[in-house]
Amino acid sequence: MKIEKYLDIFPKSLWVFLVNSGSCNGCDIEVVATLSPRYDIERLGMKLVGTPKHADILLVTGPVTRFMKEKLERIYAQVPDPKAVMVIGNCGCSSNVFYKSYNLVGPVDNVLPVDVYVHGCPPRPEAIIEGAAKAVLKLEEKKKALLREQSELVKAGAE
Amino acid sequence: MWYKVMTGFGYWDVYAWLIFLAIASFFTLWLRGLGRDDYKEGTYQDEIYFSGNDVPEDGEGITVPADSAYWGFKKALAPYYKVLVSMHSGHVIDYVGYLVLVTGIITALIVLV
Repeated sequence: MKIEKYLDIFPKSLWVFLVNSGSCNGCDIEVVATLSPRYDIERLGMKLVGTPKHADILLVTGPVTRFMKEKLERIYAQVPDPKAVMVIGNCGCSSNVFYKSYNLVGPVDNVLPVDVYVHGCPPRPEAIIEGAAKAVLKLEEKKKALLREQSELVKAGAE
Repeated sequence: MWYKVMTGFGYWDVYAWLIFLAIASFFTLWLRGLGRDDYKEGTYQDEIYFSGNDVPEDGEGITVPADSAYWGFKKALAPYYKVLVSMHSGHVIDYVGYLVLVTGIITALIVLV
């Protein structure tokens, strides 16, 4: 029995895994501020988890360094479907002032398919919360697409 | 028959425990069945998460065990630990001896004070 198949809305709170792919830590501090009592995003159900295997969203901060490329790809692969990628900060979105740096692969979308971009250097916690809200919508779309695929497979199997 | 396992203080009802085991197994398997089965086999999703790195076969050289968090604590109390560890001989007779000794001292203190 799969309870989530019978629910119309996203069946669980948003669990997020944070990866620093080369950030200066400024964006990571803002993510922590988002969790702290002033903004307290956990009251809305979003929380950071310790392993990508529990996550719905991969939060990436910073441009992707050559050292982190393979690790980032592996971590992305370990997030179960449906999943979304959210990039926090200008560096992750466009490499910012580090554009064309010799040891960068580039912005995150050079490595992973990105769903939500949150600009800022660093972005304010309100912007991160708005990005998370957009990521929920993306995830719901992806979940519906997955369920549609599954039902089509079942139909094809029955025929 | 072996439906009752006698102990020094009572008995274990074997059938009651088997029924309990069956009920517990049913609920355990049911709850397990609710979990995700849609992970992709043969990909990284099968592997242990090790901060994006390959999982080392022998991690002793590159990992720090969680009990090292108590390093300073253990270092500071090393003289006391040394005595305590040396007292743990593994012989029950020694432990009973400590118990009798400490009980005797406490009783003597209570009686005298």
